Amino acid sequence: MGNKVIKRINLTIVLVILTIFSLGVLYPLVYVVSAAFSPGNSIASLSIIPFGDGFTLEHFTHLFNNTNYLIWFKNTLIIALWTSILTIIVASLGAYVFSRFSFTMKKSMMLLMLILQIFPSFVGMVAIYVILLRIKGLDTLWGLVLVYLAGNIPYNTWMVKSYVDTIPKSLDESARIDGANHLHIFRKIIMPIARPIIVFLGITSFTAPWMDYIFPKMILRSADKQTLALGLFSFVTDKKNEFTVFAAGALLVAIPFIIFFIITQKTMVTSFGNAAVKE
Amino acid sequence: MNTRLKEDGSSRKQILITSMLFMGLGHIVHFKQYIKGFFYALFEVLILFMLPTILRKLNDMVTLGIMKPDLPVKERDHSIFMLIDGVIVLAILFIFVVVYIISVKSALAEYKEFCIDKRLKTNKESISRALGKSFPIFGLAPSVGLILFFVVVPLIFSACVAFTNYSAPNNIPPNNTVDWVGMDNFVAMFGGEAVWTSALGRVALWTIVWAVLATATCYFGGLIMAVVLMDNKLKFAPIFRGVFILPYAVPSVVSMLVWQNLLNGSFGTVNRTLMQLGWIDKAIPWLSNEWLAKFTTILINLWAGFPYFMLLVTGTMTAISADLYEAARIDGANKFQVFKKITLPMVLYQTMPLIIMSFTHNINNFGAIFFLTGGNPVVSDSTITSAGGTDILVTWIYKLTVNLMKYSYASVLAIMIFIILAPFAIFQFRRTKSYKEGEF
Repeated sequence: MGNKVIKRINLTIVLVILTIFSLGVLYPLVYVVSAAFSPGNSIASLSIIPFGDGFTLEHFTHLFNNTNYLIWFKNTLIIALWTSILTIIVASLGAYVFSRFSFTMKKSMMLLMLILQIFPSFVGMVAIYVILLRIKGLDTLWGLVLVYLAGNIPYNTWMVKSYVDTIPKSLDESARIDGANHLHIFRKIIMPIARPIIVFLGITSFTAPWMDYIFPKMILRSADKQTLALGLFSFVTDKKNEFTVFAAGALLVAIPFIIFFIITQKTMVTSFGNAAVKE
Repeated sequence: MNTRLKEDGSSRKQILITSMLFMGLGHIVHFKQYIKGFFYALFEVLILFMLPTILRKLNDMVTLGIMKPDLPVKERDHSIFMLIDGVIVLAILFIFVVVYIISVKSALAEYKEFCIDKRLKTNKESISRALGKSFPIFGLAPSVGLILFFVVVPLIFSACVAFTNYSAPNNIPPNNTVDWVGMDNFVAMFGGEAVWTSALGRVALWTIVWAVLATATCYFGGLIMAVVLMDNKLKFAPIFRGVFILPYAVPSVVSMLVWQNLLNGSFGTVNRTLMQLGWIDKAIPWLSNEWLAKFTTILINLWAGFPYFMLLVTGTMTAISADLYEAARIDGANKFQVFKKITLPMVLYQTMPLIIMSFTHNINNFGAIFFLTGGNPVVSDSTITSAGGTDILVTWIYKLTVNLMKYSYASVLAIMIFIILAPFAIFQFRRTKSYKEGEF
């Protein structure tokens, strides 16, 4: 019985600590939400208590009526979707090849990829700019997608490969005996089992473009091709502080993200593989 | 020429010569594989056709153009275009050499099989084999192409720039040309110019300290949270998990800009709150004191970064077979033993490459520094070098490129990142299990 009490106390302590952590994690987020609905402009004029200034929707109407917010959102969504889809296809295909085939220069290629992902893509930004200029990719969304895609491949191929390595080879071999070709094995066996890591990959490569600032700044020029990061950043520069408008814009980005995450985290943590792999 | 092949392996030399003479010739002459041979040959014809252009581009890369001050700006030699074209040409030549080697190897392999089978393959056989064997090529072609032109070529280009004088104000094309200067930039950065040397030492040291602390705090933060929340006795685990994922769900530009405003020394909400609570008398310079700013960047990075590892570790843990846990429970292992002997080694094995990558990512974590502190606060050498108190190498590279247009110095820093990280990455990679046990 004493054991049970100790366990309950332990559990309560863990719960309390987790709650305190949660508050720390939530604090800036709650504050942004409140700022988005607060009258006024600068953060200096806001009350320190969330929702302490009253309630207004003027920042949202301002975003939709007086700024290009919707266009930024649409552009960023297009870029993120394409980057995510293409990264999944290219990286997982590469990972499958690296995991299951042996060929000339395989080792050096994998090492090269490990070394390449050391560099942030913008180290080569002058060259990327000129190459995009040559293939007429400047000031286009697809030019940006290409840059992101190429930057994603080295890291993510490694990530998916180390996962595919854990899938028993006996599965592919039995399928090959049944007459399946490589593409079939890849699509029907590897991809479904590797789904958790594919989902993870999809999410990470989908989120990255929303955060990026340097490449859109360099590649996209015209007003109708701006992205959210560029637009939002313009609200809180050194010269002006429109924190509340920024908060409203940021909130509209974050909400779909958060909903998406809460839905997909179930897929990401549920058990997988075990059912398919009965040796 | 006698195209008859001997079956005892003595025609190897003959095949070697034919396939080295012209790409694909061996396949056509000896094995009657016309389609495969045709594509190989076509590739070589294309390269030969382009040869004059290739040679001109390589020559331009060596000279980087000549000053023609009397011409209008548009018609002057553009050194940077010349340099990039040269690098692209080199990349294409490299692919050509690799394909050439592959074609010769493939012809020899074909001959080996001929000696065993004592006959040539029928068309059908060789096509179905080629389809099977070519899967790796089609699977990797998109990766290789993209990486080559958008990662490798730009990186080699910027490595080249480190040996030129491409910097403002005197050497910016198209008005002026750029010249090769050998090791001048390295000499200046490593002792030649005291201000730059001391700034480099300061920034490099902080970059490493930052990366180690940022990676360690996020990994263990995420690991602990994942393990605690995996406990199925904990009632609200999904809710907590949902809350802890939130920082990851918010785009980091947004969250860093929010923190920047919240932590602002004079009007930031954090300071105003602490003052109204009476916990502090005067504002804490979260982002304007050099050392406190460094601490703040790591703390805020933990806030933003631990969910990634929490998700990753949770995903990895669910992949660990339930049988293992059951066996451990039957043997009477307690929770801590299970964690230490099963969970931790398995999770570490699975995530090791990702820890390495996270370290290298943090060495290059532009967003976490740039949007939170902008590399500030200003220190003694900032006016000349533009490097602030929390600047890491990459943010400094960005400032050198965009603000000062000192591309040559920026490239020296990029090479430094390479020198710091490449051996480390290789060393770590060789220690991982997948290297020791895998097919390497």
